[in-house]
Amino acid sequence: MLPHFELSQPKSLSEVFGSLAAGKGRPFAGGTILVPDLRGGSETSRRFISLAQIDALRYIKHEETGTTMGSGTTIADILKDQGMVSAAPALVAASDIFAGAMVRTAATVGGNICCGSPSADTVPSLLTLGAAVTLCSEKETRKVPLNEFFLGYKKLILRPDELLTAISWRPLQPGSAHLFYKLARRKGDAITVTGVSVMIAVSGNICSEVRIALGSVAPTVFRADQAEDLLRGQILTSELIEKAAKAAADQCRPIDDNRASAAYRLQTAEALVRRLLTQAWQKASTT
Amino acid sequence: MSEIDTSPNYIANVNLRQVGKNKPRNDSPTKVFGRAVYAGDFHMDGMLYAKVLHSDRACANIKSVNTSAARALEGVHSVLTAENLPASNAVMTDLPGQVGGGTKNTKQPILAKERVRFYGEPIALVAAESYELAQKALELIVVDFEETEGVFDAFEAQKPDAPVVYGDDNIVAAYKIRKGDIEKGFAEADYVLENTFSSQYQEQAFLEPEAAVAWVDEHDMLNIRSSTQVVEHFRAVADALGLPHNKVHLQAPYVGGGFGGKEVMTIEVWLALLAMDSQRPVKLVQTRENSFVSHGPRHPFTFTHKTGVTKDGKITAMKITATSDAGAYAKLSPYILLYATVGATGPYRVDNLWIDSTSAATNNLPTCAYRGFGTMQANTACEAQIEELARLIGMDSLDLRRKNFIKTGDPNTTGQIIRSAVWSDQCATKALTALGERQEKTDTHLFGHGLACYQQSYGRIRWMKDTSESWVGLEVDGTAIVRCSVTDIGAGQMSSLAQITGEILGVPMNEVTVYFGDGHVNPLGGTSTASRALYMTGKATELAARNVRNNLLECMAEHFSVSPGELDLGDSKVFVIDDPERSMSIKEMVKHCASLGVHRHSLEIYRAPTSEGLDPETGQGEVFPDFTYGAHAASVSVDIDTGEVNVIKSVGAHDVGQAINLRTVEGQIEGSALMGQGFALSEELILEKGILQNGSFSEYLIPTSEDVPDIQSIVLESRSGLGPFGSKGIGEPVLAPVAASIVNAVADAIGSRIHDLPLTPEKVLAAITANKAATGE
Repeated sequence: MLPHFELSQPKSLSEVFGSLAAGKGRPFAGGTILVPDLRGGSETSRRFISLAQIDALRYIKHEETGTTMGSGTTIADILKDQGMVSAAPALVAASDIFAGAMVRTAATVGGNICCGSPSADTVPSLLTLGAAVTLCSEKETRKVPLNEFFLGYKKLILRPDELLTAISWRPLQPGSAHLFYKLARRKGDAITVTGVSVMIAVSGNICSEVRIALGSVAPTVFRADQAEDLLRGQILTSELIEKAAKAAADQCRPIDDNRASAAYRLQTAEALVRRLLTQAWQKASTT
Repeated sequence: MSEIDTSPNYIANVNLRQVGKNKPRNDSPTKVFGRAVYAGDFHMDGMLYAKVLHSDRACANIKSVNTSAARALEGVHSVLTAENLPASNAVMTDLPGQVGGGTKNTKQPILAKERVRFYGEPIALVAAESYELAQKALELIVVDFEETEGVFDAFEAQKPDAPVVYGDDNIVAAYKIRKGDIEKGFAEADYVLENTFSSQYQEQAFLEPEAAVAWVDEHDMLNIRSSTQVVEHFRAVADALGLPHNKVHLQAPYVGGGFGGKEVMTIEVWLALLAMDSQRPVKLVQTRENSFVSHGPRHPFTFTHKTGVTKDGKITAMKITATSDAGAYAKLSPYILLYATVGATGPYRVDNLWIDSTSAATNNLPTCAYRGFGTMQANTACEAQIEELARLIGMDSLDLRRKNFIKTGDPNTTGQIIRSAVWSDQCATKALTALGERQEKTDTHLFGHGLACYQQSYGRIRWMKDTSESWVGLEVDGTAIVRCSVTDIGAGQMSSLAQITGEILGVPMNEVTVYFGDGHVNPLGGTSTASRALYMTGKATELAARNVRNNLLECMAEHFSVSPGELDLGDSKVFVIDDPERSMSIKEMVKHCASLGVHRHSLEIYRAPTSEGLDPETGQGEVFPDFTYGAHAASVSVDIDTGEVNVIKSVGAHDVGQAINLRTVEGQIEGSALMGQGFALSEELILEKGILQNGSFSEYLIPTSEDVPDIQSIVLESRSGLGPFGSKGIGEPVLAPVAASIVNAVADAIGSRIHDLPLTPEKVLAAITANKAATGE
């Protein structure tokens, strides 16, 4: 049963910051995680601050310097935005298979990031974009690389008085590929078993930049930096890709649960990194 | 999309105006526009809200239940434990709504007394001013448990030292079939193949959870308005409470899905007790989490098949053992085991046959009826074995099936002679053809085609002596009325009766009013279970409507000075067939007949064929009224690196006898395509020592709208069934081959067989990895 809870409904961003500073509870965005968690009992807070009326958090802006997206942007908004197809192809792919059609219209990017779940589906592609998040409070605004945002399983650097207001990243270089694969037990409304995103930029026949991020195979979504280091500045042969995939798998710390075993997660993480690196290298080399 | 194929062989000169046509159903507008009222939508003044304390242990002694704090809570009106119930504290769970039946141990405690035997077993009931208060009261009830040793495996449960769940031993039911000469059969075989196949728990996952309101009215009548497949549970409620049968009134509004999960009583008797105790109306809509433990899921089964086959594909012998996990109470397990036993040989004629089947009690969730009722699990195993046989002898599997299909006039597993059409070959050929060419494998994906056929009964077991009654009448303004207590569980039960009546009386189906779902103001139509609703209530309605038609035509024959056979009813008119200009509107006709005192209504009963059970030594005898045959074919892709299975195309081809409403038939086929897909690939209740681990829709994985493949329905009409206009039951039959076809498609794609369902990506990847290791790739 859904328990009773308090929901304050600020009308402006400054009111939100005031409420956060006053300890009136945690932010409540799309509610697609909070409501089930409240019902199921894993969410014990009973005071929340609704972001439903804060239009200032819902925008997507493409500029020459990069893309900025308000944290209140819904997954459906991403799918509707024409510019996203080139600005963040993997994020569009992730959004397309994010939960189900109903959830996509309510769930926000900010909520997905701040739930801190290792299976948050927007996070791997944002990490491979090298995105940063803007954290605001009444007192200050700071910009933090998304890569440094997660401290551990559902542990964030976000302070209780802060709100994640925006996500931004620099444009993808020409000659780059940005891919995402979600492995799950079904197509709709599924929690990811293994999620992989890869970004490869090719310049002068070598891999000038590479980012690899994995979801659901460790306490947080993470960058497989050891694998990235093997590839940066190299021509990607199948042997090298194989080595990088193994290095990425070495960084995984998966668990067993009802959806899959740790061993399966490890096996598929390696296979999917291999597959996505191969595909991305081919794609980036031919564009 | 669908196509129709009608054989001219059975009923010639059939000229149907409404039946079989693609007509919008009478219940569609009210459902589409959200006006339909379901059991949970009712509100009454002074109504209380109920909550049930479900056990969080699977096997424990109850040392005490302390309810004093809960009772003391303001706004709590009733708190009931086993101590407060009638001495018997038992409700009958045998086949509902019948006078027949009577298997072992089919009484289940209403509330657990000294012992809980499964996770979720109800211990206490609360009625309060609000759900929140009732929930608070539940939390104040203190149960002192003493954990005891349980048994959680159907094979372990049969060992001599296993803890006994209830009664004398853990054997809930057992059957044997002995037919022909099994040793001779194996001696005649060129090959003998043995395999074991197992399948999992499946949850009905109906959209509408258990819901009801109960109240005692001014006539001291106990009323229950409930989401049930069986309004005739009023008898079981009355017996449990010690009331006369005519003092319990159970009615069902539209039901939001049943699939067998609302066949045995769910929450009705709890609400009855609370309403009697509080003398206030009491409502309960189960939460989804509690719904998972409020009805019985599909039985996990293990089948071992040993089959003898000649090199040209003729099956010479089958030796089969079947074991099901009945869980902590028998419920319908004995009957489900019987269905599985009869269905173990699929749609094939096997003359040398040996089957032993057993259902064992454990401390797992009590399992019960679920669309397919054991036949589906049995067929899934049989069709896997058939495919493996074909592979073993290097024969096309459809050719092997053709060599062995049962035919009209052949005896089936229990020696029952099949009297209706058997179009297995036509259905299989059409389904397989519709898949088209098999795709070539790529770097990342394998592709496979799979086929499965089946034989599934419709209508209840013959010794249940099933009957159905229906009343059809015409108002003086020419409008038609049907009265039949059939419950409409979403499969068009109500609308089909209107369509049948409209056809026979010549009025548009959407102008026929059907009173349904209430057995106290309508003649008893029987249950909406066992793929019998259309067959039985449709037949009773057809008979009643024909009586009315005959009365009217006899009267009108005099009016037109012709014989009744020269008249027809259609398009709201009575007319002379050879001279249609000579006609009268139905309205004028009824007025005319009424003025002459012609009987304008009829109450009819349809009696299903009966028999007296099986020979206990040979298992031979007639079990069912008749059977439906057909096929399903599926094409899949399999991801080499992850083991993910994607169903690309899913085709059902079934001889439905006669479609009454084509859209509804398609709906059944499409729904079954997804239900079977879930069973094959993703659905599984996970129990650990009897404790449910995934009782939510985020963890229990039914296919979603995004998992829907390209589904094609192919409808064949032999007009050979026992139902109205030669129809056969299709609700369960269409599901029987689906999972098997997908499982066979996966085996075709990866080149090996996975023997336990569901085919999770993890199992599929393990099989692919093992194949690679074996072939040294």
